[in-house]
Amino acid sequence: MSDRKEITLTVNGNQVKGKEGDTVLQLCRANNIYVPTLCFMEGLSNVGACRLCVVEIDGERRINPSCTYPARDGLVVRTHTPNLEKYRRLILELMFTERNHFCFFCAASGDCELQAQAYRYQMDHARYPYTFPALPTDTLNDFMVIDHNRCILCGRCVRVCGEVVGNHTLDFSRRGWRTLIAADLNQPLGESSCISCGACLQACPTGAIFSKVSAYRGRTSEGKVIHSICSLCGIGCEIDVLVKDNNIVRIDGANLAGLKGQLCLMGRFQQVYNENQRIITPLIRNKKGDLEPASWEDAMKLITGKIKDYKAYYGASSIAGFASSLCPSETLEAFVKFMRNTIGTSFIDTFDGSGYRAVIQGISTFSKNGKGLEIESPLESIMDADCVMVVGSNPLETHPVAGSYILRAKTQKKVNVIVVDSRPNTFGFRSDIYLRPDNGSEAALLGALEGLVAKKTKSTEKSMRFISLGRAVEKTGLDKDAIQKAAAMLSRAKNPVIVYGDGVLSANNPKLIARLLDLAKLANHDGLKVISLKPRGNSRGAWELGLANQDGMAKIKPKMAYVLFSDDTFETGDWVDQVGQAEFLVAQASYRSQLTDCADVVLPSPIWAERKGKYVSLDGKVGHSQKVLEPSSGIKDDVEIITKLAKGI
Amino acid sequence: MGKVKLATSWLDACAGCEMSLLDVDEFVIDLAQAVEFTRSPITDIKEFPEVDVGLITGAIGMNEQEEEAKELRAKCKILIVLGDCACFGGICAMRNAFPKEAVLRRAYIECESVKDGKIPSSPEIPVLLEKALPVNAVVKVDCFVPGCPPRAKDIKYALSELLQGRIPVLPSDMMRFD
Repeated sequence: MSDRKEITLTVNGNQVKGKEGDTVLQLCRANNIYVPTLCFMEGLSNVGACRLCVVEIDGERRINPSCTYPARDGLVVRTHTPNLEKYRRLILELMFTERNHFCFFCAASGDCELQAQAYRYQMDHARYPYTFPALPTDTLNDFMVIDHNRCILCGRCVRVCGEVVGNHTLDFSRRGWRTLIAADLNQPLGESSCISCGACLQACPTGAIFSKVSAYRGRTSEGKVIHSICSLCGIGCEIDVLVKDNNIVRIDGANLAGLKGQLCLMGRFQQVYNENQRIITPLIRNKKGDLEPASWEDAMKLITGKIKDYKAYYGASSIAGFASSLCPSETLEAFVKFMRNTIGTSFIDTFDGSGYRAVIQGISTFSKNGKGLEIESPLESIMDADCVMVVGSNPLETHPVAGSYILRAKTQKKVNVIVVDSRPNTFGFRSDIYLRPDNGSEAALLGALEGLVAKKTKSTEKSMRFISLGRAVEKTGLDKDAIQKAAAMLSRAKNPVIVYGDGVLSANNPKLIARLLDLAKLANHDGLKVISLKPRGNSRGAWELGLANQDGMAKIKPKMAYVLFSDDTFETGDWVDQVGQAEFLVAQASYRSQLTDCADVVLPSPIWAERKGKYVSLDGKVGHSQKVLEPSSGIKDDVEIITKLAKGI
Repeated sequence: MGKVKLATSWLDACAGCEMSLLDVDEFVIDLAQAVEFTRSPITDIKEFPEVDVGLITGAIGMNEQEEEAKELRAKCKILIVLGDCACFGGICAMRNAFPKEAVLRRAYIECESVKDGKIPSSPEIPVLLEKALPVNAVVKVDCFVPGCPPRAKDIKYALSELLQGRIPVLPSDMMRFD
């Protein structure tokens, strides 16, 4: 874009420079000339809906919206004449009288762009008759309310839903002044295809779409905004957290229309508020079998004593440690040191460790040159792909932002999407080809696809052993045509990306992952484009620290287990049974859960907002999350607890 | 110079604006020296005399309020309105989403605290208008001070400007709609 021709315009009597292809508004903004806007949003297409950005341009008969007017060399533009200001105030008065914009009971008051413009133009009354329309309010979504009474039809929600989220749930219904924002075919939002990512809510300039978890809890001006990263799923979205009186009011995407900025329902809403019962003091199981509050001293003494006992009687390998990869790298590093060096056991794992071992084995089967996770591609490569194959994953459920990347590529660049999953997968309905092989037959399907792709692209390696189409049909129960169509689609593509997720990671099948890699290599002309959607915010960080590379982990039966659970919610995997069978169980956790209910000692642990630290995203990028809340006095930092325990042994 | 004569009228409103007017602290002394309160909730005078400044709080929701606004407009030189209800319709306009009959039914018959209620229909009581309206929908208004309620400093600013012979418009940084 840098080779665009430079142009010079006259704005308000001054010479300003810009690039050909800029709009007049873009050029004004780049030169710090303020032009009021409502429907404009950085990163979205320009539609000229609100008409607030009107400017006078020499040679034009009328005033024109600057957001849709292409800048040309030599244009003479005026942005603030009495005539323009008169029209801007008139537009505001029309907006206020068209619907029911009454600020005193609005959740957005104080953070509302319409209100701010009305203040700016000293709009203390409206000269037009109010229409007082009786418009509906849609409250059926779990997290969001659409109040059509406060809508100015700027269309930012519609554009962000289509252009950024790629979901195209929202659109306009009806015509003229009867126009309403509608979800799908005029369904309530809660019953529509909406994925509750809240991008529309953040884009809304007024209180027309507002959050049930944040409404009336505080305005931006009353709190402090802390920039951090979301540590939930490994995408590493950048977030702005609004904190007031040590409470999280709201979480916004730091860069809504850019990459990793739209957030999802987990990052935006579920982290703000949950009803789990917090653990705020150490708990020890008493003789009656109930957990009882205890002092830090007693709890630590009991744990160190038990560790020494088990080590002395059964050896260090009778103790196993499990950690949540929601914890930052610093905590996990301390945990690894504590288990390996202080206690001396090699039995440590993360809750998602079996997935890692399958991936690593798969990679070593695929290429014997000792490579690891670094062969995977960055998440953004989805945006440059010409075909995306999703295997064993519904990204819209586990990693919604990654799902959006795929949907954006599909709707904006007409990229073909193939979904392969033996489980029912609603993402399949968004794809061009949805293959549902019988359970456990994914590897056979991939083997057949390899053969078909290799035949078309004529690139093959001796080590690869394909599966015949007939055999694949027999094993997978799929239609021959469907498999051939998918193969043709993959062969036509020059730069396909394969994305796989929880279905593959939990299958415990390294061969399946090796097949995936083979197929990716055969199909892609430039090399290998594979992305695995790792389940937790710091899964990759934990795996790179060696927390999950102990072979035979599934077979061990520890006598004592130490679980660094923190604010995780993981309730599946081999480790659950292993921990359940342990004689003595220590849980370091933030909330009461099934795990803490069977623990012998529970230590409180900070939640994501109360700690800071390093996170490695699923594609290997390092980010740092910030501490946004002060924990209550009974809660100590995880590293501090582990270090103290280590000193006691 | 004689005192400026002021008459106030409290229409469809909650008294929040009047409270805010009393909340101007020691400015009330300056005000009392410069202004003669004629009809107001403080003086309990019932009739509007001819005045310099008329002040209205509240929207216009009934025919009696409509007449009162028109009468005050006719008897004052400058009309100032206080609060969101008077400027925009405000809280009172929330009923505008429903037909008048539904509003009356809800208030007099369906309301949880009512037993065997009926909608009053005596010719002696005012009649509810179809919609609650801002004051400038009925009479010409010279000066608006929005806010729910307007803050004391906004009222002080507006009245000081008026006393000095200027028609005030609240500056952007003082404007509040809530």
